[in-house]
Amino acid sequence: MNMNVKFKLLAYEKFKKDGFDALINDLRESKIVLIDAKLTPEQEAYIIEQTMKQVSEKFAGIELASMSVLNEDEVSGFDKFKNALLETIIGKKRGFTIIGPAKVVHKIKKNPEELMVFM
Amino acid sequence: MMNWLRRIFGSLFKRKKDIKLGLYGPVNSGKTTLANRICKDWLGEELGSVSSVPHETREIQMKEKVTIKNKGKSLTFNLVDTPGIATKIDFEDFVKVGLKKKEAKTRAKEATKGVIESIKWLDNMDMVLVVLDSTMDPINQVNITILGNLDARDIPVLIVGNKTDLKSANLEKIRSAFPSYNTLGISAKHGKNIDDLYQRLVDSLR
Repeated sequence: MNMNVKFKLLAYEKFKKDGFDALINDLRESKIVLIDAKLTPEQEAYIIEQTMKQVSEKFAGIELASMSVLNEDEVSGFDKFKNALLETIIGKKRGFTIIGPAKVVHKIKKNPEELMVFM
Repeated sequence: MMNWLRRIFGSLFKRKKDIKLGLYGPVNSGKTTLANRICKDWLGEELGSVSSVPHETREIQMKEKVTIKNKGKSLTFNLVDTPGIATKIDFEDFVKVGLKKKEAKTRAKEATKGVIESIKWLDNMDMVLVVLDSTMDPINQVNITILGNLDARDIPVLIVGNKTDLKSANLEKIRSAFPSYNTLGISAKHGKNIDDLYQRLVDSLR
């Protein structure tokens, strides 16, 4: 079966500036959104909370995965320090977040190094 | 001087008296079964209904002044059973398990409100048991988000791997997914290891 899926690449800075409403609009248009940062747990919870308010017959919520690109267990203390410093300077956690409408993305399975997206 | 002492010790006493122990976790992990087990053991009555249909608990349920005792120690807390947290709720899933369309839509709507309430109540907790189904893959975003939010709020956590009576239970998977947390395997349904849980609660919250 052919399936056209739209991905939207979203800079974290734009996500913060435009807010949640812009994100939910993209999700309601069946787009899968990729953000170039790992979100904080509070941001993840906020997105879940706000998405739940939008659930309807056509929009069943989301699938979400937010990951760091750095496995903190595998790097030295100095590298952790460098990374923390860098993240403070750039104002975001290095990593990425994928958010898709649940009617399009049925499941995201993750392990520390890879993601499997079931559509 | 006496007023000052009363104020200090009064606030400590009040804080301890009002301990809220929350049960958090994904849908159908057995939170209400555990809440019922605790309430039945110490109050002689259950807290809420359980079902294999997802989102049976759709409102926060609280039982006040639950006192548990273990080896001469006791602890009193308010037990808060929360609706399971999910990122998606599709009414069609309820239809698939036998609910009529109208009933399924109502349940889905209530379930979304339940998720929102659960998230809002995170700020009120003093300690949380994160109840996971030990037969399921523990690495999913809901579990990670719950644990991350509890960490961010400095709320003490014990992971409870439930359903260890089932053959497919795999507690090690939970331990290796979340190595920095204490994890205890139980079967809330059958009471397996429940005394260990009570002991840990009495020890950790005193």
